[in-house]
Amino acid sequence: MKFLLVVTCALALVTTALAADHGPAFGYATPVNSQGEWSFDTGLIGRYGSRGTQFTEGSQFGYGITPQITWTTVLPATFGSGDLPETRMAGGGEWASSLAWRFQHDVTSVGRRVESTASLGAVVPGPQQDSGVLANLHRAPGFAATLASGMASRSTYVWFGGGYTRFAEADHDRRPDTISWSAVYGYRPVQLRRDINHWDYRGFLELTGEHTGNLRSQGIVVPDSSSTTLWLGPSVLAIFKDVAIEGGIQGPLYRDVSESIYGREKIRFVVNLSYLKYSSHAN
Amino acid sequence: MKTALAITLIWLFSSVANAEYRKIDMTVFGMDCAPCAHAIHVSMKGISGVKTVDVNLNTGLVKVDLAAGNTAGFSLFQDAVKKNGFTYKGAIIVVHGTLTGPANSPALMVSGTNDRYALTPALQPADLTGLVGKTVEVSGLLSQAPKNQLPTTLRYKTIMEVQ
Repeated sequence: MKFLLVVTCALALVTTALAADHGPAFGYATPVNSQGEWSFDTGLIGRYGSRGTQFTEGSQFGYGITPQITWTTVLPATFGSGDLPETRMAGGGEWASSLAWRFQHDVTSVGRRVESTASLGAVVPGPQQDSGVLANLHRAPGFAATLASGMASRSTYVWFGGGYTRFAEADHDRRPDTISWSAVYGYRPVQLRRDINHWDYRGFLELTGEHTGNLRSQGIVVPDSSSTTLWLGPSVLAIFKDVAIEGGIQGPLYRDVSESIYGREKIRFVVNLSYLKYSSHAN
Repeated sequence: MKTALAITLIWLFSSVANAEYRKIDMTVFGMDCAPCAHAIHVSMKGISGVKTVDVNLNTGLVKVDLAAGNTAGFSLFQDAVKKNGFTYKGAIIVVHGTLTGPANSPALMVSGTNDRYALTPALQPADLTGLVGKTVEVSGLLSQAPKNQLPTTLRYKTIMEVQ
């Protein structure tokens, strides 16, 4: 009962922040906040593998500086004991702050946008120790860059994106560089294309992939510590005015991972709650 | 009782005479989902003088009704669209203002704001000779202005004197 209460509270906190993207649960997407809009998201991301389960409770804050530029800060907390590879798409304990710039934005018809968004930010180690082989590494800050492009409409969503994260060296240790990519297809059935006084639903099919480089420990590259994985799965996003709830699950399509180092990751899942605080017009 | 009636009548006439934008129906591009529409609703509703806002996601139509006597300029509505990351195609408006200029090249001064529009007929040109200098109600189309500019021309469908 206590566990349920804790999870419920965690989700209640998480949901206020992650819907800011109005997008997929795992993959990259283009939307940014409106000017003056605050977004608060909180979510629970899980990675289940042969050596345990790792949870990330992520709280994210976003603010629309201009209609095209959004500042975002993510403050995750991790728990569980998964012995898993580095990830930038399914949780992790690093704190991050970034600026996203929607540099391409074609809005020329009703209900449809074609746009591209890039983001650049700093990543710093959170207060919690990693688990598994990553727990033995000294940690240092890094940077993360992403690029996403796609189309949003009343019926269909298509987004493609990629990201790169690199960490600095600390005491001859270095966390692995991470290259990630995603392709997302979303659809809203005709029956659900309703007005703003109803819940707005859409479903996504999300393909994500990550390649993590070798990690370096005491100046030595750890053999077989790189990983490449591909994940596929559905997610559903429901929004009512300024509140959003989203859930998704993914299974592996392809894994090139040393099971002696990381075990076998089997499922990724996420539940997010978001709250969007729009600004009224200042006269 | 007579005093109250007189005050009410004066208020009614003065409010009609001073009322500016009464209706603004904008076709907004780019709203794909409920949060987009809600953001526009919140932004428009926050403009002083706005009574009601209705957003239709499937048509992109944002219908705004304004209270009599408001001083909201059109730029506020344009900014509300822009700050949410959208654009608009055009706006069908009903507006009260003063007809100025020669009858063959008329303009509308929207009282209470700095908005001024050159008037061109959407259909048949009307004889405006007797309306110059008077307060009129105009309905018509404001086309989308170039980026960061306000519309300058109102293509009117009807013009009538406000008594």
